[in-house]
Amino acid sequence: MSKLKLNLGPQHPSTHGVLRLILELEGERIISCEPDVGYLHRGMEKMAEKLSYIQYLPTVDRIDYLAGFFYSELLCRTVECALGIKLSDRVKAIRVMMLELNRIASHLLWVGAFLMDLGAVSPFFYAFREREQILQYFEKVTGQRMMNNYFIFGGVRRDVFDLEDIEKFLDILPDKIKDYNKIITENPIFRKRTKGKGILSIPTALNGGITGVNLRASGMSLDFRLRDNLYSGFDFRPVVLEEGDSFARYKARVLEIEESAKIVRQAVDYLKRGGDLEQNLINPLTIKLPQGEFESEIEAPRGLACCYIKSTGEKTAYRLKWRTGSYYSVNLLRKLLVGEYLNDAIAIAGSLDIILPEVDK
Amino acid sequence: MLKCIQSMLTVFKHLFKKPVTLEYPEKKLAPPENFRGKPVVKGCIGCTTCVRVCPTGAITMTKEDFKIDLKKCIFCGNCSYYCPKGAIKMSSEYELASQDKNDLELIYRLEMENERGINDR
Repeated sequence: MSKLKLNLGPQHPSTHGVLRLILELEGERIISCEPDVGYLHRGMEKMAEKLSYIQYLPTVDRIDYLAGFFYSELLCRTVECALGIKLSDRVKAIRVMMLELNRIASHLLWVGAFLMDLGAVSPFFYAFREREQILQYFEKVTGQRMMNNYFIFGGVRRDVFDLEDIEKFLDILPDKIKDYNKIITENPIFRKRTKGKGILSIPTALNGGITGVNLRASGMSLDFRLRDNLYSGFDFRPVVLEEGDSFARYKARVLEIEESAKIVRQAVDYLKRGGDLEQNLINPLTIKLPQGEFESEIEAPRGLACCYIKSTGEKTAYRLKWRTGSYYSVNLLRKLLVGEYLNDAIAIAGSLDIILPEVDK
Repeated sequence: MLKCIQSMLTVFKHLFKKPVTLEYPEKKLAPPENFRGKPVVKGCIGCTTCVRVCPTGAITMTKEDFKIDLKKCIFCGNCSYYCPKGAIKMSSEYELASQDKNDLELIYRLEMENERGINDR
C-alpha cells in the first residue's frame, strides 16, 4: 500500500494552539509522527536577560495562559529562594488556594476542550460555566481574569476577601462533577473512543520525561506537591490510576479536580480564621540576585515545571530556563500515535493536555 | 443504550434553566473594584518608578510630558502598584478599541510648580 504524508495543523481548528503534526499514513493507520513546534515562540527565556526581575514577573503569566499562577509562583519562589525571603503562613495559604483554584480551572477547561476534540460540544459549555466562577473570583481579587500578576516577591499584591464565593463554588462542584459523570464518563460513545487508546506505559513515560497527571494515570505515584514546602500541612492524596489510556487520563483529571477542591477547602478554612497579612516585600528597583545558580520546581497542571536562573549579580538574569510539562508530552506523540488510526490521533493528542504556548515559550 | 439516554436527559435538563450568558453590547457585567483597565494619571511627581517597572516600555516620561502608550500596555498593574504617590490608577474602563492610533496614546502634562509637580489633563 502506498504511503501518504499528512499535515495535521498548524491551524487545525481542534488542536489547542498551533501544533503541526507531520503524519505518515498507510491507509488510515499512522506509521510515523513528527511534531513541529515553535509557531508560538515569543522568546520568554531571552526576555529575562533584558528585563529586570520585577519587569519580567507580569510576563510569565503568559507562558501557560491557563495556569498563569503556577509560573508566577515559580519565578517568585526562585527569587525568594535566592534572596532568602521567608513567607508568612497566611501568604502561603493564599498562594495554595489560588494555585489549586487555578488547577481546577485548568482541568475544567481541559475536560471541555477534550470533549470538543471528540466532537461533543455541550460539555464544553458546562465546564466553562463552572470555570467562569473561578475566573470571576480571580478578577475580583487580582484585577484580571487570566493574566493575574498577583504574586510578588515575598508576598501577594493584596489580601483575599469574599471567601464565601469560593465556598459557594465548592458546594456546587460535587453536583456538577456528578453531572459530568452522567454526560461524559458513563457515555458509551466516549468510553469506546478513549478506552484502550494511546496506552502509555511507565518506562515510556519516564524515558520521555512525562510527569504530572499523565504519569499518575499510568500507575506511578509521583506528585511533587508531596515534598513541597508550600503544601506542608495540607491533607491530600495524589490520584493514581492503573490503566494509562486516554480514559484513565480523563478520569484522573476529574478526580484531581475533587482532590484540589479539598485542598482549597482547607486553605479557605485557614484563611477564614483571620489574621494580618504579613509580607516581606522588597524594593522592586533594587532586586539583584547573588552570583550563582538557582532552581525551583512545582507541580503544575501539566506536569513538573522548573525555573532555573543563572545570575552574575546583575539586575537581570544571565540565563533563565523554564522546564514545562507540555513540551515532553508533545515529544511523546512520536511514540504514542504510531500504530493508531488517524481518527484517534486528535483524541490521543488531546488527552495529554498539551498547551502550545507552554511548549514554545 | 440506557446510558446514552441518561446522558441525553442530563443535557436536556439544561434546556429549562436560565442562561448563564449575557448579550454583551446591550447588557454588561460591571467590572469589580480592583479591575485593571485603562490607566489614569493624577498627581504625578515624576519619580520615574513606573517607567522602570513597566515590562513593555509603554510609559515614557520627558520633562513636560507623561505618555502611556496603550498599544504597548499589557495592563499588568505594576506601575499603579509601585507608584509611591498612588498617582496611577487602573480604572474600570475596558472598551479601548479605536479607529485612530492617536486615541491610544495618553498624554498628561507634567507642570513643575514649586517642588511638586501638579498635572492636569
